[in-house]
Amino acid sequence: MSRVGVFVCHCGENIARTVDCEAVVEALKDHPGVAFAEDYKYMCSDPGQQLVKKAIEENDLTGVVVAACSPHMHEKTFRRACDQAGLNQYMCEMANVREHCSWIHEDRGEATAKAIDITRTIVEKVKHNKPLESIRIPVTKRALVIGGGIAGIQAALDIADGGHEVVLVEKEASIGGHMSQLSETFPTLDCSQCILTPRMVEAYQHPNIKLHTWSEVEKVDGYIGNFNVTIRKKARSVNEDLCNGCGDCQAACPAKRIPSEFEAGLGKRTAIYVPFPQAVPNIPVLDRQNCTLFKGRRKGLAKDVCGKCQEVCLKGAVDYDTEDTFIEEEIGAIVVATGFQLYNIGREQPEGLKGYGEYGYGEVPDVIDGLQFERLASASGPTDGAILRPSDGKEPKTVVFVHCVGSRDPEKGISYCSKICCMYNAKHAMLYKHKVHDGRAVAFYMDIRAGGKGYDEFSRRAIEEDGAEYIRGRVSRIFRDGDVVKVWGYDTLSGEQVVIDADMVVLATAMRPQDGVRELAQKLSVSTDEHGFINEAHPKLRPVETNTAGVFVAGACQAPRDIPEAVAMASATGAKVMSLFSADELEREPAVAIVNENTCIGCMNCAKVCAYGAIEQREICTVDGHVCGHVAYVNPGVCQGCGTCQAVCLSKSVELQTFTDEQIFSEINALCYWE
Amino acid sequence: MNELREVARTLLTDGTVRVIIGWEDARRGARPVFVTDPAGADKLIFDTRCVHNLVTYLNPRRDNVAELGKIGLVVKGCDAKAVAGLLREAQLTRDDIVLIGVRCGGVLEEAELPEAAPLSPENVAPRCYGCDNREPELVDHLLGESQPEPPRPVMTIDERVAALDGQALEERWAFWTEQFSKCVRCYACRQVCPLCVCERCVVEKSRPQWIEASPHPRGNLSWNITRALHLAGRCVDCGECERFCPVGIPLSLVNRKLQQIVGERYGYTVSDDPETPAPIGDYRLDDKQEFIK
Amino acid sequence: MSDATDTSGAAADGFEPRVTAFVCNWCTYTGADLAGTSRLHMASNVRIIRLPCTGRIDPLFIIKAFERGADGVIVSGCHPADCHYTTGNYHARRRFAVFHDLMEFIGVDPRRMTFSWVSASEGAKWRDVVNEAVTNVRTLGPFEAYRALAPKDAGVAAPAGPSAEAEAS
Repeated sequence: MSRVGVFVCHCGENIARTVDCEAVVEALKDHPGVAFAEDYKYMCSDPGQQLVKKAIEENDLTGVVVAACSPHMHEKTFRRACDQAGLNQYMCEMANVREHCSWIHEDRGEATAKAIDITRTIVEKVKHNKPLESIRIPVTKRALVIGGGIAGIQAALDIADGGHEVVLVEKEASIGGHMSQLSETFPTLDCSQCILTPRMVEAYQHPNIKLHTWSEVEKVDGYIGNFNVTIRKKARSVNEDLCNGCGDCQAACPAKRIPSEFEAGLGKRTAIYVPFPQAVPNIPVLDRQNCTLFKGRRKGLAKDVCGKCQEVCLKGAVDYDTEDTFIEEEIGAIVVATGFQLYNIGREQPEGLKGYGEYGYGEVPDVIDGLQFERLASASGPTDGAILRPSDGKEPKTVVFVHCVGSRDPEKGISYCSKICCMYNAKHAMLYKHKVHDGRAVAFYMDIRAGGKGYDEFSRRAIEEDGAEYIRGRVSRIFRDGDVVKVWGYDTLSGEQVVIDADMVVLATAMRPQDGVRELAQKLSVSTDEHGFINEAHPKLRPVETNTAGVFVAGACQAPRDIPEAVAMASATGAKVMSLFSADELEREPAVAIVNENTCIGCMNCAKVCAYGAIEQREICTVDGHVCGHVAYVNPGVCQGCGTCQAVCLSKSVELQTFTDEQIFSEINALCYWE
Repeated sequence: MNELREVARTLLTDGTVRVIIGWEDARRGARPVFVTDPAGADKLIFDTRCVHNLVTYLNPRRDNVAELGKIGLVVKGCDAKAVAGLLREAQLTRDDIVLIGVRCGGVLEEAELPEAAPLSPENVAPRCYGCDNREPELVDHLLGESQPEPPRPVMTIDERVAALDGQALEERWAFWTEQFSKCVRCYACRQVCPLCVCERCVVEKSRPQWIEASPHPRGNLSWNITRALHLAGRCVDCGECERFCPVGIPLSLVNRKLQQIVGERYGYTVSDDPETPAPIGDYRLDDKQEFIK
Repeated sequence: MSDATDTSGAAADGFEPRVTAFVCNWCTYTGADLAGTSRLHMASNVRIIRLPCTGRIDPLFIIKAFERGADGVIVSGCHPADCHYTTGNYHARRRFAVFHDLMEFIGVDPRRMTFSWVSASEGAKWRDVVNEAVTNVRTLGPFEAYRALAPKDAGVAAPAGPSAEAEAS
């Protein structure tokens, strides 16, 4: 038998001015199932809440309806009061007679009739409410961070400093990401490695961080608080426990002319190598593709033709017979921080992008991209920090910087702005001018996007103090003409065509997500947008969460980001993860869908529409264990409570708690308009 | 027909299947037959009287059929689409059945004849016209010679739908409420539909009772609308629902209208490829929304 | 007796339509709250039933509303791409497109059903949707045709009727 208490709030004059609150009480007090009805001036006040608690106790109420403001305002308030009085909080609902009634109507008769209808509707709903309990799922308090660039490192440090174990997985041989390739960073021009390497070392030495470099995520099972992750540690050929980083193997390696990825192709490395001197961990990896010994093995030679690195290694750390190994980790939360790669500019492009063959990249050696310029400018780079052009090693006296190569160009497949290029172009112009005082820096731009703190001042400095020339217009062609690199462009402000005989050209290329991110996203059940960036749960209010509970995102894998943003996002994910780990169990609102296994036929239409992957197929067995069919099962830890599954279920075999069919049916019925 | 009997006999003899479900002669038309003995394969026929959609026997709720063992099912093109529908909804695994496809040139509207009659515009089942699955791909065997296209009936279903579309709202309301008032809620349409396989149909859910169960116009309208909506994007136009309706409600018109709706809005036509997702349960970012403010 | 901001003019016989609205919690319900906070006056004929998402809204709700005497219905939720649950409104969009077209084929005037996307910041739009829906339904008149389908004794389905017997606990 329902015993519902109805409490009609005056809200001072906000409701009472337009709605006759006593009339509402009068209309509801004898309604079937209502055991108590009263009105009061301010229900949300302390005495108002006391009124509710007292009524619950004295009248054995089984449900409470507060006819007042919107549930978005005070549902939690009254649910807490009910809970304190010993009534299950989910037996309490609010009837919105203020925002949806007294505030939007003038006629007292109409408003009162409507308020009575609204309240009666919610009373009928509450009669079908169930005393639900919060859902509790256990949480493994270990985090996985995928990607060891600045965002991944920051997230790992924040979570580790918070007292939880972090597994940090990086696919390259060293952490550091692209930030380790930069020479100086905007807007302060401080040395990138100087600010990064302390963080890298801290991450490596942190007792709570388990670092796996030269590794990738192979498989992810499970759900928030309870992930099972398999990590593939690729064969390094060097025993990480024995190696002491002496570097003798690199010195001895005969294969010395392999293009270095770290030097963006402008320098060379050996087959057994550490990507850069400050690498963390300082343990080399053997590139089996380019190693003389492994080439011999692949040809099927009977005897190994080289073995120099193993010979010279005093620790016996080199082992040519290692293979990929797999590690299983139990994880409660995952942070994706895989960063970016640059658009590759040439004619051949992946994934439907069109290249800029007209810019001569890959044909003219003195046409380079932003990361390559960073390596030239870098004191530890292939030219020891001197700006020398790749073709003949001469110092270029005229350098052209081209903005927006790839970005903002729907014709070529990328519609977005890459955000950082205006800033780093200004930086490059300044670095060039600081090193080549009599040099000429010319930049072709469309707009200047310098919105961060100190950014506009920085980019103006390039022009006003360092004399960079900024031409507003696009470049149509770049080609070699004898000793110069000809740049054909257009100056929209003067309306004239411009031809520059440059010595070197730097193209500011678009930031794109890394290769392999779509596959990783599939493993994590997160979605990517049409460009391959990871989708955030809500663009404004949930920028570091994804739609998969327990998977968070930080840095340039979500959208073009600069370093402060990447770090901010990383710390934000740290906070989210810490919040998740703050209790042993994750408590969730019980507004989840539950399948009636007796009537479900396992068509899985529900699973197809679930945006969160919360529904899986489950076998059902007879009492003697014989499998007799399959049904759908909703994971209460993952379900977000939208109810789309219920609307597509043809047999109505799934019920969303707190918005069940019975509840909604009774609301529609309560509005029965028969005279 | 001999080809069909041979294939059936072989499948039974070598144990590939335990039962063949096909059609046999019934003196007044054809009727479904379950053949478990290779000798019985001679009963199998295929002619213009074979209107039944035998896929209805694949309803997983029919454990008595499943208990017979692996099934070899004779299917026309429309029937094959129904199998794809069941595969899409995880009601079958492809390995559980052997599909014996027969090339079909159409079936009779009135099929209860002692002998098969050749098809003409006057006697062909209107739903056959425009058949797009004359060479079904989902099948394991495809038998019979290539058939001519089904003849155009005197009035096609599309023309009858168009005629209704051309009427005023009030005329259509009068037409449909009159038709649905005849409904006796026998649910024959649901029982025979190969895609209506729910353990507990929505109309039988009583807490709450969304669709009133007794046969009066209000409940009948709710039932018929719901039945139609549940088939949007799933109906294969096998025509069985209308054929079975004892009071002659023109369900083929409603079914065709729904096919037109999903065809026009989402470019969807039902096929026998189980990998193509059904339109309801799927979405595109640019779905038409002209009716939304 | 009509609300001052209702610009349609009351029907000659004083008929005031009854409109049931099914709205999503995160966008339209909140947008309606904003209309309230902004004191945007509108027609008083609409009764809102809150759902978590338009994805939850079943066509049977609308049929039941008409059976129970509603003259019109409103279904409203988040704009495409803004759904709180990411994709619920995309599924609702297809579901209601088919329902809308089918109901029109059956002979129900589509002006009795209003579908809209109203975001949490669109209080004014909600007011316009409400006023327009009420005006349309007022012009169409009471949905007697649907009520005429009822069994003869159905008039006694009083507001508390079915629920009074089926008390949950």
